[in-house]
Amino acid sequence: MTTTTEQKTLPCIAVESLTGCAGELLVILDNLEQLLPFVRIVSFPFAQSKNECGPVDITFVEGSVSQPHDIEKLKRIRSNSRWLIAIGNCAVWGCVQAGACSRCHVEDMLHAVYGDESPIKALPARPLSDFVHVDAMLSGCPINATQFLSVTASLLKDHLPYITHKPVCLECKLRENPCVLIEKNLPCLGPVTAAGCGALCPSLGAACYGCWGPCQSPQMAAMATILQEKGYQLDEVLSRLQTFGAPDTLFARMKPDAEVA
Amino acid sequence: MSGIERRTIEIPEICRVEGHSAVTVDISDGRVANVQLEVFEGTRFFERIVLGHQYEEMPHITSRVCAICSTGHVLAAVRAIENIFEFKPSVHTNLCRQLMHLGMIIESHATHICALALPDFLKTPDLLDFATKHQKEFEVWTKLRNLGASIQTIIGGRPFHPVNLHVGGLSRYPLEQDLMPLLRILDESRTYALHLCDLLSGLTLPIERTAEACFLAVVPDGPGYGYFGEVVRASDGWEAPVANYKEYLNERVVAYSHAKISTHLGGKPFMVGAMARLFFFADRLGKTARSVFDKSPLASGKACSLWNNLAQAIEILEAIEQSIVFVEQLAAGGFESEGATHLDGLVKAGRGVGAVECPRGTLYHYYELDEKGKIVAADMITPSAQNTAQIELDICTVVEQQMALDPALLQSSLETLVRAYDPCNTCATHMVQIRSVKAK
Ligand code: SF4
Ligand code: SF4
Repeated sequence: MTTTTEQKTLPCIAVESLTGCAGELLVILDNLEQLLPFVRIVSFPFAQSKNECGPVDITFVEGSVSQPHDIEKLKRIRSNSRWLIAIGNCAVWGCVQAGACSRCHVEDMLHAVYGDESPIKALPARPLSDFVHVDAMLSGCPINATQFLSVTASLLKDHLPYITHKPVCLECKLRENPCVLIEKNLPCLGPVTAAGCGALCPSLGAACYGCWGPCQSPQMAAMATILQEKGYQLDEVLSRLQTFGAPDTLFARMKPDAEVA
Repeated sequence: MSGIERRTIEIPEICRVEGHSAVTVDISDGRVANVQLEVFEGTRFFERIVLGHQYEEMPHITSRVCAICSTGHVLAAVRAIENIFEFKPSVHTNLCRQLMHLGMIIESHATHICALALPDFLKTPDLLDFATKHQKEFEVWTKLRNLGASIQTIIGGRPFHPVNLHVGGLSRYPLEQDLMPLLRILDESRTYALHLCDLLSGLTLPIERTAEACFLAVVPDGPGYGYFGEVVRASDGWEAPVANYKEYLNERVVAYSHAKISTHLGGKPFMVGAMARLFFFADRLGKTARSVFDKSPLASGKACSLWNNLAQAIEILEAIEQSIVFVEQLAAGGFESEGATHLDGLVKAGRGVGAVECPRGTLYHYYELDEKGKIVAADMITPSAQNTAQIELDICTVVEQQMALDPALLQSSLETLVRAYDPCNTCATHMVQIRSVKAK
């Protein structure tokens, strides 16, 4: 382990959270031994009480922007960080809270959950990149630890990482899994979901439910058609496809009459 | 006299708890006039998020409420929905679920005790200090956390947000070769759990006494120490089926917090979690955990909520012993082959409640389905919401005892107190701030 003097010269990192489930914080905490020799953790309020708020080389931010407080905090983080990395589906897409916001209005949700007289200020859940420049986005729910460490390693070598957004099917084929969509008629979202998990669900015989968020150029209309052919109703198909934050714009061609936010 | 002294103690954001929360205490004329535990974590409206989705999606969506107890949410959802379908899972499925749950108990308790609670006693300001100056404790945390994560990965597919647990059963059942390596690790882990128990039993607490608590916990199915059941018991002698939770938990919205607050019959605050479970069911513990409990301050029955940390350590020890039994049973096999989970003929409209004892206390999920299995109403009550009123009561008791102390000491006592409950919100920065105001 490095001594305190050596620590002073190490790159500083911060781990911050907005509105989410703390999953990414746990993944980072679980990989602390790998990180500690190479970085100085100047801020990680979930796990330590001495936190500095000065300039930082890399800040990892988890969680979506879901309240005015989150926006202020995010802007402050951006101005202090050389690199701001969005980690986890919440920060990259908005996760389940964004998925729901595209189906109903946040005011209605507020009313339904907290009643009439709630003083709570809520915003429709949005990803970080809607508010600030984000240098790299690493999705996952939770993020994959190996992917996180390789992203960090490349940032520490001073270059931005390459993060794949190919579909889960690709990893699934590489693992030579039988296809649960074709063979078991399960509603597998692998064709439109970003890879990174190693096709975890299909490898266990279950359908991918899309927790990594959309892959690059997802063919939502084709996916919906296949699922309808398998006997799933269109409304169910749409709600499944949007669960983990896929934005409305990806469905523009499918729902020409629907309002697009 | 020149006037009444009024003081406000503010802890604007508490670090080392899961989620964003703050404490405000108003003191007037030497008495605590008001206490507020504010949770300002952004709201995510889970009760609304799930509407219109299919019942099969519930475990996946609701696990996102909280990573560290995601397994608990998955199992509460699964139990609620299986209750609606009047479906009884197989022995094999039940064993896997129980083992999975113990994995969560071990991982969550170890992280809470070591990373969140202990730094107050070890006086470590940051993670590096912890890792370098307290190598033994750091090792204990790493080993126990990895153990909990391995169990959950083998059964659930990953350390949290499991993908393998579904309404009806598992999509793939673990094989003997997946499970056997756990036995050696479990065996070695006993010493780590015992180390934590020793360490925590020997601590000098900064707080002597907290408010007398009314405990609530689910009565475990079967004869052993456990986390699943259909009846809840209170230390004032009352019992009720968990299905009636709406009658006995009065949830209300308060102006200062994003978390709803629950009270028990007649507005009484209560405590859920490891301490409550041990209060009722210590006699069900296995030999090793029982002997630790008997020698511990918990057995004396003196009220101090800070012992919840120790109660969690005892539960880790018990979970290790129980896991060994479950792994052996699972590895021995001989279960009827399960195949996929076939619920098609069972789907029907109805309402159901599932309650599970999570690391922090009882978690309730409620769903109402239409005849196609679509969610038309949902409700979730987390243990942290249930503990809030009791934490406020404890804060009041502690401030009244320690009012004369140096403000910095008092604040640190309060933070240690809040952390002992392991409240689950998700955390932030800032320092503690005390303000003294002289009012007219
Ligand atoms: S099982 Fe799913 S992820 Fe795998 S190939 Fe089929 S559709 Fe793609
Ligand atoms: S297969 Fe899909 S749902 Fe499963 S972990 Fe991977 S991205 Fe998430």
